[in-house]
Amino acid sequence: METLAFLLAALAVVLAIPVPKWLHTARFRVRSPWVAMVLWQAIALAGGLAIIGAPIVYGLSPFGNSLPSAFVTLAEAVRYEDYAGLEERDVHPSHIFALCLGALLAAHLLLTLARTFYRVRSARRRHREMVNLLSTPLTDDGTQALPDRLTDTHVIEHEAPLAYCLPGRTNAGALTVLSRGLLDQLSPEELGAVIAHEKTHLRQRHHFLTLAFEAWYRALPWLPTTRYGREAVLELTEMLADDGALGEHSRTDLLRSIATTTPGGEDPEQQLSTGQGGIITGARLQRLIAPPEPLGPVARAAVLGLSAALLAVPTGLLLFS
Amino acid sequence: MASLGDLERSVMTLLWDSGQKLSANDVRDELDESLAVTTVLTVLSRLEKKGMVTRDRGSRPHRYAASALREDHTVEMLNEVLGNAGDREAVLARFIGSVSEEEAATLRRILSE
Repeated sequence: METLAFLLAALAVVLAIPVPKWLHTARFRVRSPWVAMVLWQAIALAGGLAIIGAPIVYGLSPFGNSLPSAFVTLAEAVRYEDYAGLEERDVHPSHIFALCLGALLAAHLLLTLARTFYRVRSARRRHREMVNLLSTPLTDDGTQALPDRLTDTHVIEHEAPLAYCLPGRTNAGALTVLSRGLLDQLSPEELGAVIAHEKTHLRQRHHFLTLAFEAWYRALPWLPTTRYGREAVLELTEMLADDGALGEHSRTDLLRSIATTTPGGEDPEQQLSTGQGGIITGARLQRLIAPPEPLGPVARAAVLGLSAALLAVPTGLLLFS
Repeated sequence: MASLGDLERSVMTLLWDSGQKLSANDVRDELDESLAVTTVLTVLSRLEKKGMVTRDRGSRPHRYAASALREDHTVEMLNEVLGNAGDREAVLARFIGSVSEEEAATLRRILSE
């Protein structure tokens, strides 16, 4: 049990520090973003499991040889107030401390996850109300050959070229929002590419994939790698959405629409200041300009296998060792 | 029958376009004669709760006006999207976020070739 605790602690450290540092700039993410996405999700889950599991396993180690049996023994000792037995079992205050630490960490991570979920949901609800008041549903006025599936696309009256999507509770409740400036500046083909990009975000439910990373970042903001994870996963969702759009639209249309919506061009109004700059779109742009080869089947299988092992090995050790 | 959300939008559009204080009766007359005034009042009080509409209680009947210009609300909302307000994660990444000046220039050059 003690060995297992140290193994889990080592896994937690490795997953918290060197691995995200390497992965957030790893070259292969550009070649096959969905493979990198699977690996990130496995890291988030396995890392959370290891960081909570390590202190709990250590704290339970005097009580039995496997986690379930140790847990039962401890529960019975508490239930029958058999505190004399604790001495025989060689329970040290450090074990009690580790148990408390594990419980606190588990509560902290799970509560932050829940709070993030509800905060994001209510922020979206507020935003959706504003969109409903300020925008009009996009209808094909016959002048443009717009793509179909327009029922949930709304137009907001502003000259800055903008597009974004707002996930709903179900996919039917989701919205894609375009600005008047975007409609004016893009050709129908380019517009189609933008809409396809946004719909891919919604269809692939990228808002769920980013949730855990948003939560870990809020729970452990002092850990630099939680920020890497959050940014890397956002970047991957953009690449995945681009790939989705390229299924139906040409690379040139997508690139042109990016060029138009990029600040620094003829920005009609400086009323809207742009958010954080940085790495997020650089790699995304590069891979659109010069498309890299996707990962070969062997490399792909290796990364996916690693992801599965990350989840299966700690879980298996915890339950069956 | 139009949904409450559609009605809210029509009422706001009317208030924004008129730029005046209107009573529930005025709103009804402008929008749709067949609407019940109570429905209009419900919509107006919902909008007041959302902070979109202010009510002038000094007159009888109460009169309502948009709390801010449409453009101001739009800018406020889009700034939320652009990440200048607190809840950036509310919306999934907008179409293009942050490309550096050089990257943008490179892109334009490639496309103009």
